[in-house]
Amino acid sequence: MSRILVPCHVKGTVALQVGDVRTSQGRPGVLVIDVTFPSVAPFELQEITFKNYYTAFLSIRVRQHTSAHTPAKWVTCLRDYCLMPDPHSEEGAQEYVSLFKHQSPSMTFPKWLSHPVPSEQPALLCEGLPDPSRVSSEVQQMWALTEMIRASHTSARIGRFDVDGCYDLNLLSYT
Amino acid sequence: MLQEESDLSLMIAQIVQKLKGSNLYSQLERQAWASLQRPEIKLESLKEDIKEFFKISGWEKKLQNAVYSELSVFPLPSHPAAPPEHLKEPLVYMRKAQGSWEKRILKSLNSMCTELSIPLARKRPVGEQKELLNKWNEMGTDEPDLSLFRPVYAPKDFLEVLINLRNPNYENGDSLSFRTHLGLIQVPLKVKDIPELKECFVELGLNTGQLGIDDSTQVPPELFENEHVRIGQKVLAEQDSAAAQQYIRQGSPTALRAELWALILNISSEPEDVLYYEQLKTNVIQHDLLVDSLIYKDVKLTASNDDYYFVFEDYLYQVLLCFSRDTSVLSHFAYNSASPPKSYIRGKLGLEEYAVFYPPNGVIPFHGFSMYVAPLCFLYHEPSKLYQIFREMYVRFFFRLHSISSHPSGIVSLCLLFETLLQTYLPQLFYHLREIGAQPLRISFKWMVRAFSGYLATDQLLLLWDRILGYNSLEILAVLAAAVFAFRAVNLMEVTSLAAAEAVLADLSTLKVMPLLQIFLFATVT
Repeated sequence: MSRILVPCHVKGTVALQVGDVRTSQGRPGVLVIDVTFPSVAPFELQEITFKNYYTAFLSIRVRQHTSAHTPAKWVTCLRDYCLMPDPHSEEGAQEYVSLFKHQSPSMTFPKWLSHPVPSEQPALLCEGLPDPSRVSSEVQQMWALTEMIRASHTSARIGRFDVDGCYDLNLLSYT
Repeated sequence: MLQEESDLSLMIAQIVQKLKGSNLYSQLERQAWASLQRPEIKLESLKEDIKEFFKISGWEKKLQNAVYSELSVFPLPSHPAAPPEHLKEPLVYMRKAQGSWEKRILKSLNSMCTELSIPLARKRPVGEQKELLNKWNEMGTDEPDLSLFRPVYAPKDFLEVLINLRNPNYENGDSLSFRTHLGLIQVPLKVKDIPELKECFVELGLNTGQLGIDDSTQVPPELFENEHVRIGQKVLAEQDSAAAQQYIRQGSPTALRAELWALILNISSEPEDVLYYEQLKTNVIQHDLLVDSLIYKDVKLTASNDDYYFVFEDYLYQVLLCFSRDTSVLSHFAYNSASPPKSYIRGKLGLEEYAVFYPPNGVIPFHGFSMYVAPLCFLYHEPSKLYQIFREMYVRFFFRLHSISSHPSGIVSLCLLFETLLQTYLPQLFYHLREIGAQPLRISFKWMVRAFSGYLATDQLLLLWDRILGYNSLEILAVLAAAVFAFRAVNLMEVTSLAAAEAVLADLSTLKVMPLLQIFLFATVT
């Protein structure tokens, strides 16, 4: 079963706060991001990947169609998933995160993401997760791959720092 | 859970790739081939028999040590989507700050280059090469004119950069409030408090024997010291890195220290290593670098003036000059927030085939750098072994003391840990020192950047570095700094100026580090 990227449209964040957004001075702790999927065909979501930016807790709600005749309903897939163990310190603040299907009940279709602060958005995909019983053969494959890469480099151990015997330099470069 | 299994296989693949390029791999391969001659190796059960042979002959242990070494040094594999710079440093604002700081250093070095009309690097004429080779063992007798050279930066310049670090997403207001940090460091990194430190450094507790405390002359050696030495000899006989690391948390007997550190750092002096060092020496002979003058100047200013270390002056040149030529050091930049400076061969600016790193190892020494090497000279007298130990200490620990990162053992975290400990457990002292314009970090920063080298008596320093190795962390430096302030708190409460505070803390050479640490962590009433 191959995995593919699902095209999605990520809307801007909307703050959840009581009162008039324009006049009230308070800074809301909860923000909402709507993610819609332009393709109509249903799909089974395996993984969501994103880079965090100072979001402490994440909840995901999904609007699911169960059948053609019943109206779609909102289901909470993830509630208050902790991304930052201590929100007042930097731990987890800018980490890359993956959320998997098995961490929540089945997810199909559009999501309603809620989180405190804007986060840069997802829709990346990584390679298939290795089957637990095939870890060893996966390692062999990676080994073979790295061998191919290594074969094209000269050994770095007795490293040369010059270029053809020349180490006559200009100034240091700033780029 | 599937994620953990994929993390594990990724980690295994990375370690395997790393080890495949090592001497150990070729040795194991050779041993496996040679073992085919042995009667107990049968074709039907070849794989199992060779594995058994490795176990009995001690080669499996060597492999275990190598894997353990990789695990200690390399960070856990990060998310597959994370780019390489994320592994160096996950926080964008810290990466940017490190980049700006590096740019300043490069500008400083470039202007030194143009002002003094000295090239960054030049090939030595044959006559000069011969001369240097002849006096390789006594380079300290040279008195080159270094008056025009100045260190690229000193720790206090670096401190100013750290003080100005800000997280753009952190609002703590301009005016003093309960949210601003009272110390100099204003970034909200997570640091441990004393209960967490007690858990982390449990072997330093009051009920556990320590070298540095329980080996003093008043304590009969039968109570702890003899047994501890016996266990140390056993650990060395087993040649187990992980066991050695655990053992050394209680300190290392002087006689065993050199071997124990080599075991923990997984340094074995093979002929290939000696050959590698000789190759580096040849590189030094052939090319003269501007950085060499900085090294000379640093050694002359620091180690040569130190009562304990001036005798090792020649060793320091032999290690540091070779260190600058060592391209294998470049690999540590994968997990260091810093990046090696780049240059181009003259006349080939912008052409990537002519891009090189400068210096070859990518590390520009600063004022006091040679003090990282000096204490090691007490333990190792063979230049290539001394060199290997220093290099490994640098790529495991010392690089964190002069680069900007969010790592718990990075200098920024150490500074914040120091300030937080002082503020939490000695609030009166902290407040008083602030009031008189003597922010404690301004005094303790230089101790931590140098890992206390040159400030403590050498036997005490080595006991401290035992624990750095044992816990694979530099946090103990911040704890010791706070413990020193706690120890001299009474005198410090009476001073009324920064200069007077510095005077109280100027001489640490009489301090005994282990009692200080133990009292601060385990015996202070909070």
